[in-house]
Amino acid sequence: MNNTTTIPGIQKGYYPLKILIIILLLLGLGLFPFISGNRFYISLITEMMIYGLLAMSLDVLLGYTGALSFMHNAYLGISAYVVGLFLIHISPTSLWLACFTGIIFTSLVALPVGWVQVRTGGLAFALLTLAFGMMFHTIVWKWYGVTGGDDGLMGMPNPDISLFGWNLGNTGNPVTIYLFTLIIVTICFFLTRRIINSPFGAVLEAIRENEDRASFVGINVRMYKLLGWMLACILASIAGALFILYKGYIGPSTMSAFAGAGVLMMVLLGGLGSLWGAFVGAAMFIYIQDYISTMSEHWEIYLGLVVIFLVLFLPTGFVGLGEHLKRFRKG
Amino acid sequence: MVELLCTENLCRSFGGVMATNRVCFSVDNQGLTSIIGPNGAGKTTFINIVTGKIGASSGKIFFKGKEITNKPTHELVKMGICRTFQINSIFENLSVFENLRIARQAKDGGSLRIFSSKQSLKTVTEKTWDLVERLGLKDLAARPAKNLAYGDQRVLEVAIAMAGDPEILFLDEPTAGMSPTETRQISKLIKGLANEICVVLVEHDMDLVMSISDRITVLQYGCTIAEGTPEEIRNNEQVREAYLGKEE
Repeated sequence: MNNTTTIPGIQKGYYPLKILIIILLLLGLGLFPFISGNRFYISLITEMMIYGLLAMSLDVLLGYTGALSFMHNAYLGISAYVVGLFLIHISPTSLWLACFTGIIFTSLVALPVGWVQVRTGGLAFALLTLAFGMMFHTIVWKWYGVTGGDDGLMGMPNPDISLFGWNLGNTGNPVTIYLFTLIIVTICFFLTRRIINSPFGAVLEAIRENEDRASFVGINVRMYKLLGWMLACILASIAGALFILYKGYIGPSTMSAFAGAGVLMMVLLGGLGSLWGAFVGAAMFIYIQDYISTMSEHWEIYLGLVVIFLVLFLPTGFVGLGEHLKRFRKG
Repeated sequence: MVELLCTENLCRSFGGVMATNRVCFSVDNQGLTSIIGPNGAGKTTFINIVTGKIGASSGKIFFKGKEITNKPTHELVKMGICRTFQINSIFENLSVFENLRIARQAKDGGSLRIFSSKQSLKTVTEKTWDLVERLGLKDLAARPAKNLAYGDQRVLEVAIAMAGDPEILFLDEPTAGMSPTETRQISKLIKGLANEICVVLVEHDMDLVMSISDRITVLQYGCTIAEGTPEEIRNNEQVREAYLGKEE
């Protein structure tokens, strides 16, 4: 057998079951608004998908590069504000241009921040993300004239989504924005998966495993950490653009440290280093938040208990559940 | 002739302590040079400076006649200066194959390809298989590195450094914690390597050092106190003093 070009651990070929599950899942999600028509759930799932994308971007950073960001929501927020401001002040109909501006602006902010952050490692990196995040939070909170301060960004127009002159509907319509989010998030997911399995992704994993060794096999650790950071921030900025289109509003609390911890919890709930786990984590988090907050104002307490339970008994998150059950059955 | 690597008055101090003090060291294209010395002599510090892990306080390092003092590690590795560590430094959760593949990839390039698969780097994969087969790690290739026996991890440690096709390879106590059988196995590997490239070995096992070295440099308190063939070192009065203390 000539196996000189195969890589152990990576099986070639297709998995009919896996593909079937993905198709069924996407089909189910795609048809959901037409079957159910329950606007509450349509909107809840939209939020899950958007936060899933944000959580996935943090998973790229934490699960693959090994760098912890406490306030990744800051980059969702920056992008959302920029897209919102663009639509309000510059052009209320240029949806794509607004999104593009949001992503570019966020990248321009993230680049120097990342440049500083990658000069440190471990805890110092994490603390810097917290410091920068709080700085951004304070800016949007205090800059009344531009951001609306405490009140948030008001008066967002609802642009039409059009592609090559083909009108797909208005962002004010929950079903339209649901489907739009589904498509964009799906594309982002598969692109990210592709990137993670590329030679570039392998470098990120090597850095996560052992930064020191990575530099001693000839990897420019800082540069690749910065690239990983930028990838994570760009994904977060896409989530930000979707967020403002979906909500039509953003306030400074979305960018707070508390919300940042929430994103981190989503990733941990789902499990690190799988990408799809982040979506499961986000869905669980938002569902718990929503469900408990109907019963008690202090939903954070119950969520905290759930997280403590998970950290103690299921440290690998939802992704590790299968492995856990297997071991449990064996005894 | 230009030496492969040489240092000129290399110094490094920690606080007030001169861990490396005016070390002049040079090696040629091939062969095995050992660095020995009592504990705390500055052997590892010396390797750390030369391989870019820490900076030099003063002095210069030349590689093939070009100055490389205080260059970043990853650039030195690309030039052909690789090393292993005293305490295993491997990618624990990656497979043995991936440990070597990533080292090979870092050397050959292609790390910036973000949309192609790992398999698309065909020569990287092929060269990695060559190395895996050469070192007899084929059966372990798919295993996560952390599940390997300690001795095999030690071999992997050397293999990762070899994967980068070094011209000069620094081995920091490769036999630390190994059984006599494993030591024999790895010394054979080192000897084989020394026929192709320049190997610099830091080692405490005197039998091993004396039997396989071409040349030996002895350090004490950060200074070079002797330099020569194993025979010369064995009969050197100063070296005996360093190890055994002065006769009264």
